[in-house]
Amino acid sequence: MQALKVEDYTFSYLDTKNPALIDVSLEIAKGEIVVLAGPSGCGKSTLLKSIVGLIPHMYSGSWSGKVIVDGAEVSKTKISELAKKVGFVFQNPENQIFMFSVERDIAFGLENLALPKDEMRQRVDEALSLLNLKNLADRAPHELSDGQKQRTAIAGVLAMKPSILILDEPTSLLDPYTAHEVIGTVQRLNKNLGITVIIVEHRLDLVSSIASRLVIMDNGRIIANDVPKKVYSNFEALKAVGMPIMASLHKELGGIGEPPLSVDEFVSALKIRND
Amino acid sequence: MNTTYWVAGGFIYRRIDSIVHRFDARVKLLLTSELVALSLLSFTITELAIALGSTLTIAALAGILKRMGRTLLFSAGFSATIFIIDILVGYTIIEAIVYSMRFIAIVGSTSIFFLTTSPDELEQVMRWFKLPRDLIFAYVTAVRFVPVLMLDALQIMDAQKSRGLEVEKGNIFKRIKNFSPVLIPLVVNAVVRSGELAEAMEVRAYGAVKKPTMLYNFVMKNSDKIVAILSAVLMIPTLYYFLFLV
Amino acid sequence: MIEFYDVSFRHQNGIMALREINLKIETNTLTAIVGENGAGKTTLVRHINGLLKPSQGKVLVFGEDTKKQSVARLSRKVGIVFQNPDHQLFSDTVENEILFGLRNFGIEEKHDRLEWALEFFDLSRYRNVSPMLLSGGEKKRLCFACVLAWDPDILILDEPTVGQDHKHKEKIVLMINNLLQKGKTVIIVSHDLEFLWPQQPRTLVMSQGKIIADGNIAEALSNDSVIKQANLVRPQLLALAIALTLKPPRNVAEAAKVLAR
Repeated sequence: MQALKVEDYTFSYLDTKNPALIDVSLEIAKGEIVVLAGPSGCGKSTLLKSIVGLIPHMYSGSWSGKVIVDGAEVSKTKISELAKKVGFVFQNPENQIFMFSVERDIAFGLENLALPKDEMRQRVDEALSLLNLKNLADRAPHELSDGQKQRTAIAGVLAMKPSILILDEPTSLLDPYTAHEVIGTVQRLNKNLGITVIIVEHRLDLVSSIASRLVIMDNGRIIANDVPKKVYSNFEALKAVGMPIMASLHKELGGIGEPPLSVDEFVSALKIRND
Repeated sequence: MNTTYWVAGGFIYRRIDSIVHRFDARVKLLLTSELVALSLLSFTITELAIALGSTLTIAALAGILKRMGRTLLFSAGFSATIFIIDILVGYTIIEAIVYSMRFIAIVGSTSIFFLTTSPDELEQVMRWFKLPRDLIFAYVTAVRFVPVLMLDALQIMDAQKSRGLEVEKGNIFKRIKNFSPVLIPLVVNAVVRSGELAEAMEVRAYGAVKKPTMLYNFVMKNSDKIVAILSAVLMIPTLYYFLFLV
Repeated sequence: MIEFYDVSFRHQNGIMALREINLKIETNTLTAIVGENGAGKTTLVRHINGLLKPSQGKVLVFGEDTKKQSVARLSRKVGIVFQNPDHQLFSDTVENEILFGLRNFGIEEKHDRLEWALEFFDLSRYRNVSPMLLSGGEKKRLCFACVLAWDPDILILDEPTVGQDHKHKEKIVLMINNLLQKGKTVIIVSHDLEFLWPQQPRTLVMSQGKIIADGNIAEALSNDSVIKQANLVRPQLLALAIALTLKPPRNVAEAAKVLAR
């Protein structure tokens, strides 16, 4: 069973003329790290909301096609059921921390699912160590840095043991170093837990080295869906998000062979070529 | 803006370690209620002395005298008003003093609970009282986000001042008009924020079951039980004295 | 012309946000201020339009001490566009939003300036629309329009590219170049080093209230300990140049020329 299957999905918000998503089809296998990118208004947020169930249960509209998450059809499954399969981390860490301590916030979702106390304790402890938050367990949100807040949000979602983790522009409010740290954490979680990851991020430079797939959207449609190196050669599609520097450089140098995804890759490739 | 911030500090919980802070939240609630009851029932100088004295002693034990001092200073204004009105209405000076100081005692004793109890503990107390989940959550969210909204307000004021808005100037009408560039973004931000919170709540299964469980069930330690019983034991004769013997 | 002399600033809660800052920014220059969250970047720029006054030392803008001027008076010459458009927009129409600043400063040609702003920022078709209904990128443009409408000599941009997509970032670059050509002084506070790199600005790196590096962007970011202290990550072209010991190329075209050997 695939982690995610979107079949010819078209969606329009209530009272709007133009559909937000048009004939979107996407399949994601377990354990993949998929990056979803696209200009503002391309529909990526709408797609994410359709996966987690906010569409159609919280936001109405009209749609055709199907979205199937871990075997369950989203339109026919309650959000609270979907919450056990998909964890969603929002862009602003502030607006997803509810409680007065890191520990209790991580337990928030578990309390909502009425898990027994012992199991909650165990899951909270696991989440704290997975995200390096053990010594921050009793800190209040206003005592945390932005990076720590974001990790708390991720921990709160992971404690619910979803098989898919979705992050919506998780680093846009963070400084560059912390942004890289969060991305590194996500990669580590994918590797150690086998969790499927979908990240929305339009700065491809930041994420393409860890991605197994890049999906680019524009105007409600998917215009590229392939491994990063292939997408880096798809100059047409890249125009929508702005050519990543390495892709641009590769193109200027004639576009021979596979494009590098990072400076380190480029430098290694150059050294190999020169030897 | 600054005075409000300073005064508000007199009600905000700060992480201090003291004997009182370590009591179970329910015991703190009990103690505070007892002190408030004493203050409300003070009609003579002696009673007032007992009420204020107990309040200040507990405050001292909790290490919060200085903070409480802030709120008391603030209530001094209202207190003075009560004093003046009482004199004008015809009470004796002694009576006027008692009634105006009583106000200070009530405010002081109430603040003991809020200064020694973290919002976390407060939430647990509310759940123990089996208040509706939505109500508790609304309260928790409010306490959690009030500081955040205050920060928003400061940033909005900075932004509008940088566009030439002068908040201090002008007559009363102009000043009210000058409010909307600050108020509207504040309200809009709060509404947008609640929308995001609502999405985040859904996605963490809020409302999935009628009776959510709790990570921490609090258990009263023996010391808590002793303090609770002791205070009740002291209260009964004192209240009797207050109500019937004076 | 902006001058900081031994400026220190202490917040109400006792935290030292700025420590002995000495700085001169010349007219008609582009300066970038970078550093980790909490380094003091926003605190520093708030001293330039008087929102904050130094606890110690003094700040001079065009030769006058900021302590002696109101925020309103300084803002006439020093415009700041803050990071979050939702902290600013409140009017019923885009037109009134732009007129707000113009009215506050008593600008006589306000209607001419309004027309210019609507045109330059491509907002004419939204003239009578509520600002709340605009998209994120459009709101940002509106904020620029509001501030540039009153034509300040100095423009400070606080994190102009956060949350903006590629297309909007390009427009911001065009706007900055246009302003520099007109003789304005531009200061950008930003995390986005990739965005800043092609413009090769003078760069101030801040950390914990101090300026720890000051020079052309390539120089300022060449030192590893500076990068580490300020939580920065080098722009890719600079990282590439350092790895291959080349002169740092300004953009991809230059890089390609150097590498094609």
